[in-house]
Amino acid sequence: MEKRPQHDLSRLPDNTALKQQKLPAQQLHFSATGVLTIFFATGVFCLCMGIILILSANSIQEIEINYTKICANCAKLREDAFNFDKECNCSIPFYLSREMKGNVYMYYKLYGFHQNLYRYILSRSNSQLAGKDVMAVEDCAPFKMSHNKTPIAPCGAIANSMFNDTIILSYNPTSSLHIKVPMLSSEITWWTDKYVKFHNPHYTNLAEEFAGTTKPPNWPKPIYELDEKDPKNNGFLNDDLIVWMRTAAFPTFKKLYRRLIRTHHFVKGLPAGNYSFNITYNFPVTRFQGEKSVVLSTQTQYGSKSLFLGLAYTVTGAVTWMASFSIMAIHLTKKREPFFPKQ
Amino acid sequence: LQNEKWMNVKVGDIIKLENNQFVAADLLLLSSSEPHGLCYIETAELDGETNLKVRHALSVTSELGGDMNRLARFDGIVVCEAPNNKLDKFTGVLSWKDSKHSLNNEKIILRGCVLRNTSWCFGMVIFAGPDTKLMQNSGKTKFKRTSIDRLMNTLVLWIFGFLVCLGIILGIANSIWENQVGDQFRTFLFWNEGEKSSVFSGFLTFWSYIIILNTVVPISLYVSMEVIRLGHSYFINWDRKMYYYGTATAAEARTTTLNEELGQIEYVFSDKTGTLTQNIMTFKKCSINGRIYGEIHDDLGQKTEITKKKEPVDFSVKSQADRTFQFFDQSLMESIKLGDPKVHEFLRLLALCHTVMPEENSAGQLIYQVQSPDEGALVTAARNLGFIFKSRTPETITIEELGTLVTYQLLAFLDFNNIRKRMSVIVRNPEGQIKLYSKGADTVLFEKLHSSNEEDLLSLTSDHLSEFAGEGLRTLAIAYRDLDDKYFKEWHKMLEDANAAIDERDERIAELYEEIERDLMLLGATAVEDKLQEGVIETVTSLSLANIKIWVLTGDKQETAINIGYACNMLTDDMNDMFVIAGNNAVEVREELRKAKESLFGQNRSFSNGHIVCEKKQQLELDSVVEETVTGDYALIINGHSLAYALESDVKNDFLELACMCKTVVCCRVTPLQKAQVVELVKNHRNAVTLAIGDGANDVSMIKSAHIGVGISGQEGLQAVLASDFSFAQFRYLQRLLLVHGRWSYFRMCKFLCYFFYKNFAFTLVHFWFGFFCGFSAQTVYDQWFITLFNIVYTSLPVLAMGIFDQDVNDQNSMDHPQLYQPGQLNLLFNKHKFFTCMVHGIYTSLALFIIPYGAFYNVAGEDGQHIADYQSFAVTMATSLVIVVSVQIALDTSYWTVINHVFIWGSIATYFCILFTMHSNDIFSTFPSQFPFVGNALHSLTQKCVWLVILLTTVASVMPVVAFRFLRVDLYPTLSDQIRQWQKAQKKARPPRSRRPQTRRSSSRRSGYAFAHQEGYGELITSGKNMRAKNPPTSGLEKTLYNSTSWIENLCKKTTDTVNSFSQDKTVKL
Repeated sequence: MEKRPQHDLSRLPDNTALKQQKLPAQQLHFSATGVLTIFFATGVFCLCMGIILILSANSIQEIEINYTKICANCAKLREDAFNFDKECNCSIPFYLSREMKGNVYMYYKLYGFHQNLYRYILSRSNSQLAGKDVMAVEDCAPFKMSHNKTPIAPCGAIANSMFNDTIILSYNPTSSLHIKVPMLSSEITWWTDKYVKFHNPHYTNLAEEFAGTTKPPNWPKPIYELDEKDPKNNGFLNDDLIVWMRTAAFPTFKKLYRRLIRTHHFVKGLPAGNYSFNITYNFPVTRFQGEKSVVLSTQTQYGSKSLFLGLAYTVTGAVTWMASFSIMAIHLTKKREPFFPKQ
Repeated sequence: LQNEKWMNVKVGDIIKLENNQFVAADLLLLSSSEPHGLCYIETAELDGETNLKVRHALSVTSELGGDMNRLARFDGIVVCEAPNNKLDKFTGVLSWKDSKHSLNNEKIILRGCVLRNTSWCFGMVIFAGPDTKLMQNSGKTKFKRTSIDRLMNTLVLWIFGFLVCLGIILGIANSIWENQVGDQFRTFLFWNEGEKSSVFSGFLTFWSYIIILNTVVPISLYVSMEVIRLGHSYFINWDRKMYYYGTATAAEARTTTLNEELGQIEYVFSDKTGTLTQNIMTFKKCSINGRIYGEIHDDLGQKTEITKKKEPVDFSVKSQADRTFQFFDQSLMESIKLGDPKVHEFLRLLALCHTVMPEENSAGQLIYQVQSPDEGALVTAARNLGFIFKSRTPETITIEELGTLVTYQLLAFLDFNNIRKRMSVIVRNPEGQIKLYSKGADTVLFEKLHSSNEEDLLSLTSDHLSEFAGEGLRTLAIAYRDLDDKYFKEWHKMLEDANAAIDERDERIAELYEEIERDLMLLGATAVEDKLQEGVIETVTSLSLANIKIWVLTGDKQETAINIGYACNMLTDDMNDMFVIAGNNAVEVREELRKAKESLFGQNRSFSNGHIVCEKKQQLELDSVVEETVTGDYALIINGHSLAYALESDVKNDFLELACMCKTVVCCRVTPLQKAQVVELVKNHRNAVTLAIGDGANDVSMIKSAHIGVGISGQEGLQAVLASDFSFAQFRYLQRLLLVHGRWSYFRMCKFLCYFFYKNFAFTLVHFWFGFFCGFSAQTVYDQWFITLFNIVYTSLPVLAMGIFDQDVNDQNSMDHPQLYQPGQLNLLFNKHKFFTCMVHGIYTSLALFIIPYGAFYNVAGEDGQHIADYQSFAVTMATSLVIVVSVQIALDTSYWTVINHVFIWGSIATYFCILFTMHSNDIFSTFPSQFPFVGNALHSLTQKCVWLVILLTTVASVMPVVAFRFLRVDLYPTLSDQIRQWQKAQKKARPPRSRRPQTRRSSSRRSGYAFAHQEGYGELITSGKNMRAKNPPTSGLEKTLYNSTSWIENLCKKTTDTVNSFSQDKTVKL
């Protein structure tokens, strides 16, 4: 080191923290107190969360009526595809023992319907649904064109298999009085779906817009006649269509069908009493051995009645607590010799 | 005569070489500037020996001299052996002028030698280019891969197999599903054209799943690994602590693919000369008449280490002083000035009793041509202290004693040999007194002392010798004897008779030498340091603490090698036994190996009651060696001849077994190719990672064949560096390269691999679980964009930052605790077991990632009653959970959080959300409706409390077990690394870490250095005057001219080989 030629210092590596691997750094260290604190805190949090979730789920009132078997005659009728034009109605009375407070939502629920199959999910045309080009049916195999080579609107397997039962809830305070429970089909879709993803083409008359296309083979009516009462709820902007087009992740799923308008008798929700569902049975589920039901449910801020998350949190919290006690026990019983590096 | 490049030198050319030039090709020496066609060469590049060797031309060709015309007309024809790799053999015949002359090794100068002390010489090229013996010795270059790489290849194959299995399972499941369930679903989803059977659908599904799940086969892993290695290589290049100011060379990683292997080295094969030693001898200390000179005492009278700060004795006033000489004790100068007769006698002896040749260079400076660097150091010391050796003739020696010229008459020269281990001169001083000056190995010389020597002096000097030896110095005892005229004349007559005798001449001469070299008066002792490279001892000590076995492979002599072994602390007196294998044929070698093994196990058995554990481990390979742990330290010394036999296939295993049980192995007199063979042997049969370090061309083959080759750079000759994978200027940097850079590289690479496999399993296997719910239809869980970006954008940088910057303990602690190196050698941080752990961890995480959202999304609706259990929301929830879980995991894995880690980890998460919101934005959907169908999804899902609860629970469920396991592992079974980390943290709080240097303790066995670097025969050269210039014409009347002109050279050669044998026989008796 005594000789240090000046001109050669150019080859000396820079003395920067990065190059000398001396960057200031924090070292992560699992200290006993730290780990135990984290464990206890996590445990407490999970337990509390679990209890809150369970309580909130229990506060939700939910009624599910599976009408696959109840409307057995209709189911039988629908098994044969040739009976598509025959109407079949079915009425299901039920008794609501407790008042359903607050907003009440009505869902339809399908069992064993695979909306998550690879080919099924792909079988739609986003360009068509966005109203850019009603003729854009490239992605819709195997429901692109009808037999006479007319493009289908809306094309694809998803749209074709749209749930098309009509469910009407009636409140029967006395055996003779049947009050139709007022239900809204608006605001059951995501805002982005309704206003960004789905658009009708820009024509004044819907029927003109869809000129040159044909209805999906399973549909009884063309797309511009989906809602006869509300002309705005037609075409690609039909709420039921939009809800259906948002495919479910699992073969059992429920989709929002209607929500309660809180007027007259129903300001506080659904009062206890006799009700009945009047169902126009169109959607065939027995063909794929599926089932369908109708669900009435209230909501809390954590969503619908699902105990899973609450239970999962409770279990996790409990396990974490148990783990933290065992860790503490192990840590305290272990005899440790302090470490001094050998000099 | 014209200048040519080396590449243009062809066989048959006659080339001229000048002093200090490298020899360009294997040459037949024709003539030289020296008398009798002599020529001195240094063969350090070939065999590591540094003393000069003599080559001489045939007398017929040496007459050609420097006469260009006659040389140009030289038309001799050489018939010789085919190119081979034997450095010490050459046979051939020169036919010239109708006569034939046989050629041997003495007439050949090999490529790679350096011409010394010879101003020019002419040679005819015999072999050039790749045919030269040097090039024949360099092994083939092989493509080097690290063991992690090889393991990776296996693992990737396994993963691929695993992938195919998953594909088959899912494919079959799909066939069944299509048959059972899908069939009823056909109204909603027809078959596509051309695929109308469930079997065909299963087949297609198989391929779809292979494509979807291919992310388990980590293709980006290889790229990332290379990036990490590149980063580590740059760290090596940038390390200031591996920068050598002396030659202004920084360390250099010449290969960027071997870094983590540096953390797994088990065997280091080191060259000696230029690697361990500096090849410089310095006169350090002396003991004259019972007083030590050369030690520095501080004010309190304590001995202190010689440091550079101390002012060396100033010799510059003396015009003849050698500038490079440094001595630190003023008291010796004072004693000289005071005229202490013993001190004067001591220095006079140093100036007289040697074989050095003086020469004046053009500037009029006195230059010594030394044959052994030991002697050079002694004579230079005397010169600087005022006793300047000026000139010599065959009969006289002229020295300048404190300014006055004194000429001594040289009466007899009792030359050195390895049995006598001493040399003496008999001189008559100008006053007419006859004196015998002798220097030699202390053990030998002490027996020859006269009884009148004071007891005190003997014991003091003896103590001093032990002390010197304890410091690793080479010692010599110095003694003289006054002779009376009559006695000497009688003796001289007998010597002449003996010389004239025909039979038993050598024995008779030896007897006469014994006769006169007795009743000596002790003067003192000298201590010469064979200067090791800086920090060699510390490096060797800490590497052996790290359980790295160091083998010294040198071309040098056995004695020198052993001495260096002692000096480096590789051999110590505490060792239980030292085996020397020096057989000359296969039977002897086998016998010696057997004996050595017997004694090794014999000793074990003798104290088998609890002291020794002799456990047998399972056989390594089919021709494997039983590895037994033997407590106690053993050393093995083997020379090149024996090694050639030991490397034969039937003895190979015995040799290897023995060698691996020894703490230290020294192979001396080995050829470059043998070095490579030894390395190959260990590499192939031990499954161990080897490193070879060397500086010269003779190490190239070894460097190439070892797993990692390290070259010492910054000196002459680049061959070693060019063949190496890493290079630096000093041996001591090996410690930092292995213990810091190597360890870190291995540690980081292993952590990186574990994490990478974990991440890919966690990421990919979710598709497998989802398959059970989507009819095995090869539907992916995540959005296509997420799959594309996950490995490249969302998770690559944090793990790269960890792979490049992570440290468990800092560099100082890595150096201070060499035991930290052992996990690498045992391959503990990444192996098949670890891989399975990572895989299971990944599978567990993927399961948690899938099950919790599945359970939560089953039958659920959002806060506003709208449904959130759609496929797209599920995908976004899963993807977000995954990114958060793997980010938390990398945060737990990163043990050294630099700014860069922070930026990368937080940045990755931020990037994920930015990209997510961008891709789910309205604008991008209106531009590309079919490419980005997830419009509004991020906003919608991530504003739901329920979704965040799911993400949180997933994270807790997948991370908490890891935290618990890690904490318990560290708490219950802390590794050394954990303990040091903890300690380091405590230290940091308490005070800044102080730098500690391992105390250097040396063995205290006494070894005499004289025997080591010396060759017999130079005495004859001097007394015969053969090597003197024409200006000192040899006197015909001298008794030594009895020999004819070439006999001394033959003697020289004969005796060189004898020395080795005699010494080894001497040692084998001890076995």
